[in-house]
Amino acid sequence: MDVAGFIDLLLAIGMVVLALQVVSERAVLRSIILFVVFGLVMALAWTRLRAPDLALAEAAIGAGVTGALMMMAWRRLLIINPGQPADTPRGRSGVAIPVALLAAALVAIIGLSALDIEPHANTAGQVAMDEMADTGLGNPVTGVLLLFRNLDTLLEMAVLLIALLGARAISPPARPEEAAVIESGTPLVGALLAILVPLSILIATHLLLAGTHEPGGAFQAGAVLAAGGVALVLTARMQPGARPGLVTQLGVTIGLVAFVGIGVGVMAFGESLLVLPGTWAVYLIETAMMVSIGLTLALLFAGAPALVGGRR
Amino acid sequence: MSGLEWVGVTLLIAGCFFYLAGTIGLLRFGDVHSRLHALTKADNLGLMLVCAALAVLSADWRIAALLVLVWLLGLLAATVSAHLIARHARRDGD
Repeated sequence: MDVAGFIDLLLAIGMVVLALQVVSERAVLRSIILFVVFGLVMALAWTRLRAPDLALAEAAIGAGVTGALMMMAWRRLLIINPGQPADTPRGRSGVAIPVALLAAALVAIIGLSALDIEPHANTAGQVAMDEMADTGLGNPVTGVLLLFRNLDTLLEMAVLLIALLGARAISPPARPEEAAVIESGTPLVGALLAILVPLSILIATHLLLAGTHEPGGAFQAGAVLAAGGVALVLTARMQPGARPGLVTQLGVTIGLVAFVGIGVGVMAFGESLLVLPGTWAVYLIETAMMVSIGLTLALLFAGAPALVGGRR
Repeated sequence: MSGLEWVGVTLLIAGCFFYLAGTIGLLRFGDVHSRLHALTKADNLGLMLVCAALAVLSADWRIAALLVLVWLLGLLAATVSAHLIARHARRDGD
């Protein structure tokens, strides 16, 4: 076996072992940390499968933002139940092992039968690749997300908005002291933020602009933007607010509004629904989506309907 | 292998050695402060060596500059997070 094959094998074994530990670990915090590690190994696996867009999304959203969200949930569990630690041992259900074996058998059967499938000459992927030259976009992933299958992307934006509304409906707004983890008196934190927050904006913009011809795009850019917001919330530079102002309401919905607005607007010019009129529309929609995704994820992390300026 | 490749591979192996040492320290040392000591010192040096190795092997100034940025960002994050963990541990009397 060559070196690349050996690395792939290590990644595959590592992912299975990590996944097992995530679900079997008794301490919730350790499970969360292992889940983040699993996400990072998964990002490496996507890189090996030559899917850098997915690798970026997995590292930024799957490991980064989701990990931060779960840590915050764990923290709030401790605040809700101070007497009872959140790390109560979980009993294993009697059907767990049979279900796991069944699922493994199913995956094996599907995987083995997939090996025998003859690739169809005229798949949607091939058609999309052939059409890419006419779109003015260099990255086929962006082409599929924004042009060929943009109804899916539009609905993903709607799902994100619904998730935010749902979280707001079921959870009481976080008190300011719940969101901030790091006391603002720590001297190094200000210096870190002064570098990290501008850098997150810079990297998000780069990912957004690069997304039309290289790996990247609105989802990865939004997650990086949200990371800057998470750092600000953690250090109490931004605090959970009680009611969203006009800017927050606009920011959370602008991705959906821009997408629907342009997608429906083209019908006035005799085009079909969601046929985007050019590269400028892709840039415009992606920028609006990045703002909405970043703000939504930061709000989900803060567990609040709005963010207001906090301590300096 | 060319001379440049030899330099790159040597740097890479040296970097891996420091990562190994740092990880052993993290697993074997007794208290939070010693573990942080092992992690921050050894891993940051390891990261620098690995970044230098990749920069040499890529033979591309643009990639080399990006790798320097990666190393500096890693340094920044490691420094501040180690500081915060140590502070937290001292406050809790660990």
